Amino acid sequence: MSLSLKTQGAATLRLLGKPFGGIGGAICGAGLGLFIFVALFAPLLAPYAYDAQDLARIGLPPSAENWFGTDEFGRDVLSRVIYGARISLSVGLTAVALSASAGILIGALCGYFGGRFDRITMAAIDLTWCFPEILLALVLVAILGPGLNSTVIAIAVAYLAQFTRLTRTQVRALKGETFVEVSRCLGAGHAHILLRHLLPNALAPVIVVAMLTTGDAILLEATLGFFGMGAQPPTPSWGAMMSSGSAQLFNAPWVVIIPGLFVALSVIFINVYGDAILAALDVKNRIRRA
Amino acid sequence: MTHSTSRLKLALLSATLACGVALAPLSAAVAASEAVFVFPNSHNGAPTLNPVKTTLDTLAHELIYDRLIEQDADQTYHPHLAESWESSPDGMLWTFKLRQGVTFHDGEPFNAKTIAWWIPKFAGTDNDYLVAAVDKVEIVDDYTVRFVMKHPDANLLYNLASGFMGVPSPKAYEAAGDTYGVTVAVGTGPYKLDHFTTGVETLLIRNEDYKWGSELAANRGKAHIEKLLLREIVDEAASYLELKTGGVDMVVDVPNALLSQYKSVKDVETKALPSYGIFYMPINTSAEPFTDLKVRKATALAVNQEEIVSRLYRGVGKPAHTFLISSLPESKINPQFEIRHDLRQANQLLDEAGWKKGPNGIREKDGKPLTVKLWTQGDTEFKRMTEVIQAQLKAIGMNGEIGVFDVSSIRDQYKKNQHQLAVRSYGWNNADILDWFLSAERQGYPNVSMWKDPKGEELRKAALTGSKTTEERIANFKIYHEYVLSQYPVVPIYEPDRTLAYNKTRLTVPEKIRGPKFTAASIIDTKVND
Repeated sequence: MSLSLKTQGAATLRLLGKPFGGIGGAICGAGLGLFIFVALFAPLLAPYAYDAQDLARIGLPPSAENWFGTDEFGRDVLSRVIYGARISLSVGLTAVALSASAGILIGALCGYFGGRFDRITMAAIDLTWCFPEILLALVLVAILGPGLNSTVIAIAVAYLAQFTRLTRTQVRALKGETFVEVSRCLGAGHAHILLRHLLPNALAPVIVVAMLTTGDAILLEATLGFFGMGAQPPTPSWGAMMSSGSAQLFNAPWVVIIPGLFVALSVIFINVYGDAILAALDVKNRIRRA
Repeated sequence: MTHSTSRLKLALLSATLACGVALAPLSAAVAASEAVFVFPNSHNGAPTLNPVKTTLDTLAHELIYDRLIEQDADQTYHPHLAESWESSPDGMLWTFKLRQGVTFHDGEPFNAKTIAWWIPKFAGTDNDYLVAAVDKVEIVDDYTVRFVMKHPDANLLYNLASGFMGVPSPKAYEAAGDTYGVTVAVGTGPYKLDHFTTGVETLLIRNEDYKWGSELAANRGKAHIEKLLLREIVDEAASYLELKTGGVDMVVDVPNALLSQYKSVKDVETKALPSYGIFYMPINTSAEPFTDLKVRKATALAVNQEEIVSRLYRGVGKPAHTFLISSLPESKINPQFEIRHDLRQANQLLDEAGWKKGPNGIREKDGKPLTVKLWTQGDTEFKRMTEVIQAQLKAIGMNGEIGVFDVSSIRDQYKKNQHQLAVRSYGWNNADILDWFLSAERQGYPNVSMWKDPKGEELRKAALTGSKTTEERIANFKIYHEYVLSQYPVVPIYEPDRTLAYNKTRLTVPEKIRGPKFTAASIIDTKVND
């Protein structure tokens, strides 16, 4: 009886998870959805103001009053983690959207027109691959000055090369296809060919990479925040929270561990859900399964 | 085949073990004569080891160079490179008898000619105030010099004992030119410079010929530690972890916020040092809205020194209500000039200045919000205090936007005059620090407040150069100090207790720390345990 219930339960879970790419994908998708919900409704959900200091309550452990304890200024860690979700997710998503948009545009133009324009532009873009992403981002933030806007730009530039390269390769492969030739023979202009024929066919892998890159971008934002180059105090970002709480690591470990846990969870959720969606939407697999 | 392989393995194993046993005492001996210290954070980022030109005196300066005179913790003066000294009754002549048999690291002799060459080198540097009262240096004989004064200087002995007055080798100094202090630094001190990288580390090697230690040290000969690595670690939590895990042997200045953590480590011993400085907030008096005295005063009164000490530092240290450390007589001013927290008056002053509270609690004037730049350096303690100050300013409707700069670049940033408020600290035990940070002649840095006030200048000069006796100097500096505080170019915040932390299984530190801080005399006496 019990076995049968378990089997039925697992089957139900599999069934429910199917549109989300399996149970793992469903759980991570739900987790990601929860994070987005928390980020959107942070002012309603946070029990305290994120910047409300209470120096009489420094480094208190988790309790009924402060679920995640208090930090080195007596601020509620839960409230800061909730607001931190807003910063981390919005910076990650905005930076990747910016990077992908610019990468798609540049990559499509380079792939389509080729020639000297392609060579010079790609050489310049490839230069960013000479440096580790974190180093490039740190240098850019140092030039632009610390802050959220600078962080978004720095992360976008750090990931620009991969989107450009990917789009360019896709467009180059597709532009020799028969349907493009036909369209050209029928008198279609460059803009029409690029927008109507090439990009719609080239975008699928770019979107998947964008989704997977969002996890990396959140991690990079946390790293920049940890170095004091991201959100400036008292704005809470998970990385900055870990950095400012590191001095209290042995007195009040929750100040560091909890935001760290949320960074890890968000990256896991995005990556697993991204993988699951990739698998679920993969046309070849669908055909094979059919 | 099997037997021969086994024998070979056995032989190799035996040889390895034998080498290990033989080398173990050797490596222990090498390690035993070396030590790694973490610089006090206030010493981080010094760009040069040239004592004449540096604006930041560090532990490295004090170990490479000796001074004519040493100051003890009780503010008394003791002979070092000068064996004795006397002043004429009118204070216009000072005669110094120099120690014989002293040589620089490059083998050059130290004598009267060295002093006659050295004092004029200060002309035109940021440190020229130290010997500004000296008109000329006369050589009486090979080991006697006479300072002929332009005017009496009641502070001359203090100046000669300061870290900036370490005596460099004339030959090395002239040979290196502008690169002196960067590529080479040669003094008569207990340690020689091996290498130095700004913001990273300084490696010092023991001066084997040293036999002229001051009377502040029990050991007058060469130091016990052969090789001393001084590391600059910006993150104070990292310093703590390094000491805890054995990466360093001593942290010279422990932040009070981490004191309880240091005390909880089994092998770590802490030692209290005399108070030596102040955390304070300079207000840029040349930048709007701080050109208005009412806004400056309101900003000053918003800072709650008592709350910072009792809550943030859990009672370790003292609230600072004047710009000078409490052990100085010049800090004992009329209480009406002390800067104390008064939220009600601060709000009232901003109202009077036309800054009205906006809907989000931030004040506005002519449609412009009261948002100001609040700068600090990247060290943990500075960032922490700055966040508290930011919250305290918010209580009067002032939005402080924190800007964090690297310790080695922030001084250059101040010179650009784009700052408004900053959280800083200094370490100095003389009232002339008022002149250093508030002289109109040094705007940008060190006068971060950009303060230029005719009356202030008049009082500063009177205090600095118009005092014939110590008592007169104290009285003059008190007047100047009171005037400074009445104009609010700076807001005193906190006078930290200073603490040294070291690994007691690795080091033996002298029971009594001589001198105003942990410096050469104590380091010469520090031993690495067997």
